[in-house]
Amino acid sequence: MTIEHYSVPGSIAEAAQLLRQGEVTIVAGGTDLTPQTDSGAREFAATLVNIQRIEEMRGISLSGALSSGNYRIGGLTTVTEILESELLAADAPVLIEAADHFASPQIRNAATLAGNLCNASPAGDMIIPLLLLDATVELARWAGAAVSYRKVDLADFFTGPGKTVMKTDELLTAVEFAQPLDGFKATFLKTGPRPALEVATVSMGVAGVFKDGALHGARVAIGSVAPTPLRAIDTEAVLEGRLLDEEVIEQAVETVSQEVSPIDDVRASAWYRKHLTGVYIRRALSHVAGN
Amino acid sequence: MSAVIAKKTIIGARVPKPDAPDKAIGRTRYINDMVLPRMLFGKILHTDRVHAKIISIDTSAARALAGVHVVLTGDDIPELRFGTTRDNVPLKAGKVRCIRDEVAAVAAESEEIAAQAIALIKVEYEDLPAVFSPAEAMREGAPVVQEEHPDNRSLYYEFSHGDIAAAEAASDIVVEHEFELPFVTHCCMGTSCAIADFDPAGKLTIYSQTQYPYNYKMDLAPALGIHPGDIRVIQPPVGGAFGSKLDVYPFEPICALLAQAARRPVKLTFSREEEFINSPTRQPVEFKIRSGVKRDGTLTFRSVDALLNNGAYTSWGPTTPVIQMRTFTGHFRVPVVEYKAQAIYTNSVYSGSFRGYGNVQATFCTATIMDILAEEVGMDPIAFRLKNAQKSGEVTPQGSILEDCRLGECIEIAAQKTDFLRKHEANTGNRDKPGRIKRGIGIATSIHNAGGAKIHKSDGCGTILKLDDFARATLITGASEIGQGIDAVLCQIVSEELGIPIADITIVNDDSALGPWDVGVHASRTTFIAGNSALRAARAARKQVLDAAAKQSNVTAEELDLRQGHVVQADNGVAVIKLDKLLRRMHFSEEPELVMVTDYYEPNSEAEDKNHVGNLSATWAHGAYVAEVEVDTETGEVKVLKLTAVQDVGRVINRLGIEGQMEGGISVSLGYALSEQLQMKEGKVLNPSFRDYKVLTAPETPEIELHFIESDCKEGPLGAKGIAELPAIIPAPAIANAVYNAIGIRFFAPPLTPEKVARALHEAAHQRSSKR
Amino acid sequence: MSLEIEIEFTLNGRRTRVKVPPAMTTLSMLREKLDLTGAKLACGEGECGACTVKVDDRTINSCLMFAVDCDGRELQTIEGLATGSGLEIVQQAFVDHGAIQCGYCMPGMIMQARYLIDQNPGQGHHMTRDDIARGLEGNVCRCTGYTKVVDAVAAVVLEEASL
Repeated sequence: MTIEHYSVPGSIAEAAQLLRQGEVTIVAGGTDLTPQTDSGAREFAATLVNIQRIEEMRGISLSGALSSGNYRIGGLTTVTEILESELLAADAPVLIEAADHFASPQIRNAATLAGNLCNASPAGDMIIPLLLLDATVELARWAGAAVSYRKVDLADFFTGPGKTVMKTDELLTAVEFAQPLDGFKATFLKTGPRPALEVATVSMGVAGVFKDGALHGARVAIGSVAPTPLRAIDTEAVLEGRLLDEEVIEQAVETVSQEVSPIDDVRASAWYRKHLTGVYIRRALSHVAGN
Repeated sequence: MSAVIAKKTIIGARVPKPDAPDKAIGRTRYINDMVLPRMLFGKILHTDRVHAKIISIDTSAARALAGVHVVLTGDDIPELRFGTTRDNVPLKAGKVRCIRDEVAAVAAESEEIAAQAIALIKVEYEDLPAVFSPAEAMREGAPVVQEEHPDNRSLYYEFSHGDIAAAEAASDIVVEHEFELPFVTHCCMGTSCAIADFDPAGKLTIYSQTQYPYNYKMDLAPALGIHPGDIRVIQPPVGGAFGSKLDVYPFEPICALLAQAARRPVKLTFSREEEFINSPTRQPVEFKIRSGVKRDGTLTFRSVDALLNNGAYTSWGPTTPVIQMRTFTGHFRVPVVEYKAQAIYTNSVYSGSFRGYGNVQATFCTATIMDILAEEVGMDPIAFRLKNAQKSGEVTPQGSILEDCRLGECIEIAAQKTDFLRKHEANTGNRDKPGRIKRGIGIATSIHNAGGAKIHKSDGCGTILKLDDFARATLITGASEIGQGIDAVLCQIVSEELGIPIADITIVNDDSALGPWDVGVHASRTTFIAGNSALRAARAARKQVLDAAAKQSNVTAEELDLRQGHVVQADNGVAVIKLDKLLRRMHFSEEPELVMVTDYYEPNSEAEDKNHVGNLSATWAHGAYVAEVEVDTETGEVKVLKLTAVQDVGRVINRLGIEGQMEGGISVSLGYALSEQLQMKEGKVLNPSFRDYKVLTAPETPEIELHFIESDCKEGPLGAKGIAELPAIIPAPAIANAVYNAIGIRFFAPPLTPEKVARALHEAAHQRSSKR
Repeated sequence: MSLEIEIEFTLNGRRTRVKVPPAMTTLSMLREKLDLTGAKLACGEGECGACTVKVDDRTINSCLMFAVDCDGRELQTIEGLATGSGLEIVQQAFVDHGAIQCGYCMPGMIMQARYLIDQNPGQGHHMTRDDIARGLEGNVCRCTGYTKVVDAVAAVVLEEASL
């Protein structure tokens, strides 16, 4: 379809009203949209809305009480801005690790956090650490007279490859998560040998508060092993509060291999993805346990 | 008081490419950047079937689209056969045989309109049964790919020397291995592109990426039904070639046919996806190899059976056995050898030539087998190779004359520089110890033609050299510049002989109407052949200049030299006359003369006889490369830590250029070893993008250490040999051997992807535990 | 008449006004509308970096960025890197170190190299070859094998650190 209108809203309210009218393609960094429209995988709607000028959707902020505050990352924040954030480096270095593995410097400079989430790839690099952080996404829509917002747990956000719970008139304006507690440790692993420009064969994150040899509030998130990025709830249950000895780790490996449902594709076989899941959970657990 | 000018040489210096500044500032207009007035844009409709009858093609909607000038199908043009064995046509009529097949083409006023028009063309097919592997295609009653070859057999090669059965009987150990070498592709950064423009008399000017402009005319003409003499080839700068532009591919005649029909210039450019699917690949091969050795480590025989997937048409891929055979029969002293290769038509994509030309596949096998045999006889990898390395003066069974053989020296230096034996033994000892990271070291060697390869009637190159009134030189050479750096090398040779700075030399080599004939940039031949021709031309010019100077100054020419734009006395460097002044005197004298010389250099190599015997190249060169790796035994990831290359290069002309060629070649071979494979499923390409076809990136590049053996080749220009293919040939098996050293597992089918390595480790562990 | 949007931005130091279709990429605009052919289309998917240009203070793949989004921004392409008559220091280093063979990827590689060096001011003695290689991981080169590219960048890093 040919584009008939082009709009550059300056505010969320303006953008939400445009979305309300329907038949809209949103563009931010363009790093996913351009290849998708070029290849014919996706068609332009009648109106192209460039949201890059909505300043209120930018920036990384920490608000609330000291050491129990709340992080808010604007949807238009680029991956580079996350990578360079001193705040996040102090509180949520796992986001930095993931950003460092993200595509390439040029793509990191353009790609937005909202774009990476809305693209909803099972391999999306920024999703895994945000799942570990129990992040929520903020969705805005025009409710007649004003913008109304709803929050969705990131773990509930994805419904399939390229699919989310977002309605066509909604805009992902920000991602929020609580400032991690003292002792919170998280790690992100992604298949190499190439550090970047690599669609993850498997990516994995493990997190929790590590105390007295055990993980509390254990989180396990895995990319590219299911139709959506996966929170491995059963594996988390295996780990929760238990001493990370060889037996528990073995049990976690067992459980996680039951939880994932990888496929064969051009990048890897299901066997290898499952194999890597086992390798990575061991490594990630060893890493958070400080070995 | 005359100036004194000391003798200085520029040979061996680090000389930047003359075209590099323009490339660095974005000023260079590559063919992909070019626009001609009134130019239209061409686009091809490639089939989406692998083997099918074309029932109908409806082009009416495309023709009706505003901005469309020409729509062509195979039915609109006569059957114009072209290709290595004349089995291809530009636009296919009646039948498609592989996923690349061109069924229609359009020329339109913009790329967008051309793409829209292509989308409007409707083709009705009736699918035919298809075959994708040589084994399937050879079966009785298999679907026929090319009607003129009902048994699907394409090219065939056979060579034998000595009595295999007797040699096998006399061997203490005989091993047999099967190898499978993959489809890989060139990934030129500039995608395929041509611009065609006809004049009213029907003469074609084609702007082309070709790396063999003169024979290109001969190969393109039949695809257009015009006389080769009516084609002028212009070669704008290209974004890489690596052998991919050594043939005519259908998009080129299609572009010209569109231009002919439109009577306007037409430019046709591939997208990256089209490039991955439709440009030639490296020839995939399945090998069965038997090798024998005596207990003392003496090689006894080598028997090779090669099966080549010809694809649906024949380009240079199925001719690569010519070079492949030389390595199998002539690398190391193997007294009894036999080699058979059969190319089989399938509905797969077809292969062309690619840097290393058949030897990449051969060396992966020979280097692996040498490692295996060393272990079988209980010798270390170095001693075993040294024992079987030829000495100077030996002649291989196919007649390659190893006049000055440096194979042993390469191996010794490679081993010594890398502390090979100590590391090799330590790594072997570490294999079964705990720890997920295992280190390995491996060596591989090979031989390659280093003085051209006489696969055409001539392997020559022509040169025209002139000096103007200002002592500026223009060298018109047949040799093409495709990024490899021949322009710098030729400048150095002219500069050295004529004593003028490189900045005063212009190389012209982009127009077939100007340049004298040359076979093309291939076979590691350009420095050797074009360099010799330029050297001979420069020496002739030098003689003319010095004779004139001698006449004017009452000394003999032998007493004079040319340095820094002056004629000087050779013994003390005292300047006699400035060169430009002398040239003007020569020009504007009573017996006026211009300095303009021509040369055609033909190397003293031999074409093979019908039994494949003859000294195909004017000289041969060896290399020994060592790879050091780390294997993650859990993920299967192989990291190359260091690559040490030792190679007989004859003589270094441009140190910057030779290092660049070595490093670049190594990079391609690292990809072949570890990550690159065009994945095929039932004739279709599954990974036509840089996302899923993984060429090496900067962080994956290991430390590279280069050692040049300067053997001062008697036939080479100033002693130089051809060098640029061995680095693309040898590293891959060195890496595979290093992986073996690390984990004790052999790989017979590159690339050694993390998954392949992890699976092999997993299976090995499984076997060990089930044995217990 | 299909939709075109008029945009205005700074291009290599000059104000530029141009009309572009809304879905046109920045790369197409540069090459087709503004005749700046230094940046190359080599993959069109952000996987090779040959189209790298600088927008405001960041390098991006111009094959992915919509041209309309250039409105009000500051663009620098390879043609605008050298401000004097000769070559800019990074360009000269690439020439001198033999980092250029076919050169097709080099406009993008050099833009990214300059950005990488600018991102780490005064880091000359701390930046390793690995850091440089990581900074160039989004730029594919098929000719050089990257060693000479890293050599060239390392030389500039050291030279600028000692200024």
